[in-house]
Amino acid sequence: MTLAPVDYLILSLYFAFVLGIGWLVKRKVATSEDFLTSGRSVPVWITSLAFIAANLGAQEVIGMCASGAKYGIMTAHFYWIGAVPAMLFVGVFMMPFYYGSRARSVPEYLKLRFDEKTRALNAITFAVMTIFSSGISMYALGLLFELVLGWSFTASVLLSAAIVLVYTFLGGLTSAIYNEVLQFFLIVLGFAPLAMLAVYKAGGWPGMASRLPPVMTHTWSYVGDASQNPMGVEAFGLIAGLGFVLSFGYWCTDFLVIQRAMAANSMSAARRTPLIAAFPKMIMPFIVIVPGIAALALSHMALGYSIPAKAGGGLDYDQTLTTLMAQFYPSGMLGVGLTALMASFMSGMAGNVTAFNTVWTYDLYQGHINRHAPDSHYLWVGRVTTVVGVGLSIGTAYLASHFNNIMDFLQLVFGFVNAPLFATFLLGMFWVRATGHGAFSGLLAGTAAAAATHGLTLAENKGGWLGSVLHTFPSTMAQNFWIAIFAWSACFLVTILVSLASQPKPASELHNLVYGLTDIPHDAHLPWYKRPAPLAIIVIVALIALNLIFW
Amino acid sequence: MSDLRIPIGIFFTLVGLVVGITGLAAAYRAPLEFANVNLYCGISMLVFGGVMLWLARRSS
Repeated sequence: MTLAPVDYLILSLYFAFVLGIGWLVKRKVATSEDFLTSGRSVPVWITSLAFIAANLGAQEVIGMCASGAKYGIMTAHFYWIGAVPAMLFVGVFMMPFYYGSRARSVPEYLKLRFDEKTRALNAITFAVMTIFSSGISMYALGLLFELVLGWSFTASVLLSAAIVLVYTFLGGLTSAIYNEVLQFFLIVLGFAPLAMLAVYKAGGWPGMASRLPPVMTHTWSYVGDASQNPMGVEAFGLIAGLGFVLSFGYWCTDFLVIQRAMAANSMSAARRTPLIAAFPKMIMPFIVIVPGIAALALSHMALGYSIPAKAGGGLDYDQTLTTLMAQFYPSGMLGVGLTALMASFMSGMAGNVTAFNTVWTYDLYQGHINRHAPDSHYLWVGRVTTVVGVGLSIGTAYLASHFNNIMDFLQLVFGFVNAPLFATFLLGMFWVRATGHGAFSGLLAGTAAAAATHGLTLAENKGGWLGSVLHTFPSTMAQNFWIAIFAWSACFLVTILVSLASQPKPASELHNLVYGLTDIPHDAHLPWYKRPAPLAIIVIVALIALNLIFW
Repeated sequence: MSDLRIPIGIFFTLVGLVVGITGLAAAYRAPLEFANVNLYCGISMLVFGGVMLWLARRSS
């Protein structure tokens, strides 16, 4: 793929605008809370789009297109049951506690609700994870640009990291959030035409369906039995593992996304943030997954297009998106498409960096190292942490390029730590009796259960390191779903048992933290489109319709 | 900054103009392209940018 001067012009325009937005926002930063939490001042349409854009990293866009080509429309489960229901739940039921508690971060909520050790456990694992995930996505992007455009790995990694650093350093969270909105529109306007062109060329949805095996164009028809679908998953594992444990664990507890909602300018806006975000989220499969399915159909059509082959055999699905762009976009739109890819990478990285500096500054530095400094000191620490976070991410990207096995291992361990989280938050928010000892031991038990499940089962030669294999899964995806189910159940049970055996916090300390001791916001005076419940009902109806159409 | 819609509007107006003019000049073609992609996408982005600017102006 070769770029023309017009493509570079568009890319430079984009760089100028993201830096310009950072520069314009800089004036608003006077305190550490302005820098790290936007001072709770952002309008709801902005927080909503930032809420999904922060999650829409380059790996997501490239990976979803690849999965579309590999697994078909079943990939949409990651959106329709693997994200949207959890987004509704966090908006309607959990945001009153997050926002109402006045906590500045998710780990700080755990400190207020439970105790210091539960916060420290969550803060440390979260901080390490954000650095690694931004490093890994930086590595993936550098590799892709090297492969497709012949750009130097070092140059593209350093340039993109430097730009993210400058605008998050200048304007903090507000700058990251404002840029995420620009990035969101760019991703949609850059990729949606590609989806339309590819689908049209492949003969529309009926044309695609006629060229592909039926499993590629149905979401639910083939999940009765794991052997019937390319994902190798069955309905229960899919619904309980992905739709409940993993999805709620991410969307309801991950500070990267919750931080965007907590930056909203009122309780009502914070609750509506994930609900409004659910609308574009539902539509995203048509922009990121469907082009992958169309690419597979096109490669059966003797047009001279095919998904590139891997050196070791099989298809290199990660190249689906970029090869499709090269086929349909002339220079001009090609520049917009690549800029959109760059934008998705930057929104993901800025999301990680801004979540990392808040957790480090408030939960680890202020919580454990230096408790009583003036606010200007924490503002300074926040800025320094931004630089350190970007530096560590770059280091991780290089680590990933040399030691791929370490990265795979770390991602596995993070999976074990994350799987039980939702049980802790669910009990913390809705059961007054849950205690700090209960939450902490529940998290440890859940992580241990996840590791044990992986050690005692086998899938595609992964796992089974505890010696005896009790079960073999048809795919690692199915194995992951079941690891999550066991981890969640262990955490849920152990938290309850240990809580019952330990001393509860007095009710006076739990005000605004737990259901029953919190003033639930009344919104009857607001028009229907500003109330969480009607918005959630509209989303549910649309969601059911989408699932039936693509059943 | 008063309104985020202003920089977003200006950005997409500029990109829409650049891409649209490239389309009018018909300078480049992609292998499987079957319509003037640059022209139509350029016009769409120009309209989007214009709507953003119009919304910002209306609310100020």
